[in-house]
Amino acid sequence: MRSPVRLERRLEQPKWLNWVVPLASLVAALILGALVLWITGKNPFDVYQRIFERGFAGKRAFSGALEMATPLAFTGLCAAVAFRMGLVNIGGEGQFYMGAVGASYVGISLGGSPTGITIVLMCLGGMVFGSVYAAIVGVLRARFNTNEIITSLMMNYLAAIFLNYLIFNSKSFWRDPDSPQFPKGKTLNARADWNTYSIFGIDLPIAFLIAILAGSAVWVLYKRTRFGFEVGVLADSPKAARYAGIRTTSTIVIVMALSGALAGLGGAADVGNFRGLLDAKGIQMAGYGYTGIVVAALARRNPLVTVVVAIFIGGLTKAGYALQGPDFPSGLVGTLQGLILFSAVAGEILIKYRIRTTPRRSEVVA
Amino acid sequence: MKRMTKGKFAPVLLVAALALAACGSDGGSSSTEAPGTEAPGTEAPVTEAPVTEAPVIDCAPEEGPLKAAWVYVGPANDGGWSQAHDEGRQLVQEHFGDAVETTFKESVPEGPDVAQAVEDLIADGNTVIFGTSFGFQDAFVEVAAANPNVCFEFATGYMKSDNMAQFYGAAEDTDYLAGMAAGAASKTGKLGYLASFPIPEVVRGVNAWTMGVRATNPEATVKVVWLNTWFDPAAERKAAEALIAEGVDVLGQKGVDSPATGDAAQAAEGVAWAGYNTDQSVNYPTVWLTSTVYNWDVYEIPRLQQVLDGTWTSGDYYGNLADGFVTLAPYGDLVSEETRALIDAKKAELAAAPGSQFTGPINDNAGNEVLAAGVSHTFGELMSMAYLVEGVEGEIPAG
Repeated sequence: MRSPVRLERRLEQPKWLNWVVPLASLVAALILGALVLWITGKNPFDVYQRIFERGFAGKRAFSGALEMATPLAFTGLCAAVAFRMGLVNIGGEGQFYMGAVGASYVGISLGGSPTGITIVLMCLGGMVFGSVYAAIVGVLRARFNTNEIITSLMMNYLAAIFLNYLIFNSKSFWRDPDSPQFPKGKTLNARADWNTYSIFGIDLPIAFLIAILAGSAVWVLYKRTRFGFEVGVLADSPKAARYAGIRTTSTIVIVMALSGALAGLGGAADVGNFRGLLDAKGIQMAGYGYTGIVVAALARRNPLVTVVVAIFIGGLTKAGYALQGPDFPSGLVGTLQGLILFSAVAGEILIKYRIRTTPRRSEVVA
Repeated sequence: MKRMTKGKFAPVLLVAALALAACGSDGGSSSTEAPGTEAPGTEAPVTEAPVTEAPVIDCAPEEGPLKAAWVYVGPANDGGWSQAHDEGRQLVQEHFGDAVETTFKESVPEGPDVAQAVEDLIADGNTVIFGTSFGFQDAFVEVAAANPNVCFEFATGYMKSDNMAQFYGAAEDTDYLAGMAAGAASKTGKLGYLASFPIPEVVRGVNAWTMGVRATNPEATVKVVWLNTWFDPAAERKAAEALIAEGVDVLGQKGVDSPATGDAAQAAEGVAWAGYNTDQSVNYPTVWLTSTVYNWDVYEIPRLQQVLDGTWTSGDYYGNLADGFVTLAPYGDLVSEETRALIDAKKAELAAAPGSQFTGPINDNAGNEVLAAGVSHTFGELMSMAYLVEGVEGEIPAG
């Protein structure tokens, strides 16, 4: 017997759904979250007000949100670019590490070069390392049809081991020789070059501007160029793409490399704008690559929206610290954040499918 | 690796993201010197003014209770390091009652998040902030400089300023005692040790524990594994299982904060466990030996009293067995009466003379003499220890 409620694929997706469903998902998440909070004895309104105050409202809060958002914007773009083509690159984490390695190599080597040049070359260093690392996954997928989910994930662990090797297990170029007993990375002179601008009292890291630029560039590439069109065709109908003479293998490698370059750029920003050294332990704890997947998912793979969603998640992260305490475990913060994500994923289904209720009687007739 | 506030829901997110993907893709200046070089006096002057000439910082509130906050690198209930700190916080709260209001932030990843969390605490009116992970140090130094009227108390670091004090204690003494219990419990003479990062604090622990082991089991060896993490129960458990598979029958740990090693010991036959940071004798009765326990409140209560009295100044503190900052957890059933008597005797000795187990002759595990007979390490040498003693299998990675 068929279920009286079933999902039916929409033949057409009305434009308004793309706006209404995510917003409705957010509202649903807030209501579900309120329920959880109420059950655990908290006042949902107080909690939401505090999230808003500490995560977004006011100059200090928003500055913090931007700082927390910057790495997520890059890893979000990394995921979005690959997902757009149906490539599930969950290796943003490792590509971010490699980008940090590349950028810090450049930054340490340059010493005291003129400001602009330092930033550009560090970004390039990060992008090259990140993209080469991701391209390996792309080549494996394109040539041998290896599952990129597995390989990109495995390569995150490899990158983590490599990071630990550079800072903890060797006297590498990256390790500070003046701190033999407390292993850490060499501090970059270039740290001062990565400005954080103050605009109307809000701290705007230059890396965030770079993220906006990168997001815009990806948007143009995917919406306005032949290459972007081909990626779209490949994603939607690989067969049609082949008939049309689109080169599948090279496109896969290029998209993966692009995806990795964006994560690598994030690694460069982490080193240049925030930590000022290759912080092997700290960037592993942060897990930017994995959170970036969420950012891209929430943004529905739109590169511009990804940057905005990164601010949202960044603010939530910052607010999360404000919320937690003896009577507010960090697990509850994670639950609230998780609810938002699940609602977004559930909402995605409603964009693609419509819910049909089939009267039982009609079945009997049939 | 470590699941932090963000990372914690990463697996969930992964699944969700994969679900999405499955839906198709259409639709569009630091010094490296050790903390101070003054001797770690046995009668640690907690309640007296420190000898440094730091100015008095008034971080008591104009009115209302004093608000103090702790920042943890792991979950407050990690069963180890962060939990020990949180137990200290609760004792502080109990001691002061309404006069002090405490709170904490847990699972804060090292990096930009630290400053964010601390700035939030200051915005909430907290005027004393306790930092409890080595990797928080740079961020704390920065925030302390920007907030001269807030008192910062940092555990396990070495950077000080007028409003940032350092505190820690002689865990190497209790680690030695725990090692004695471990050595006596080993039948194979092969022991395993899980260590976090090759920094002096941890190296000291490895060495002290091994020396304790060999005090009761002279031929025993200790195989050390570096995990490069503070808290990763899965990795800790895997490493412990690998050691057990190699024939190790007693496990110890330092710097890695979860009791996962105890889980691995419990799952195996005839393996005993000496833990770290918290008393787990109740949760792991069949494998438990003993462990170093930190009583953070021993330092924190007098310090907060100084804030209330308006006499707080920055300084260095290094607690020990005598003032009760470090103690030994209750013995498990696996520790014989005979061994307990041996340990208790040594305990009295170390309480009177902290660090005295590091008295020559001591060789490193490459056979070089480190200390000649009768010579002891200075406090500074203890704080910058960078060799492994005879009996340790393994090396300090590119130290």
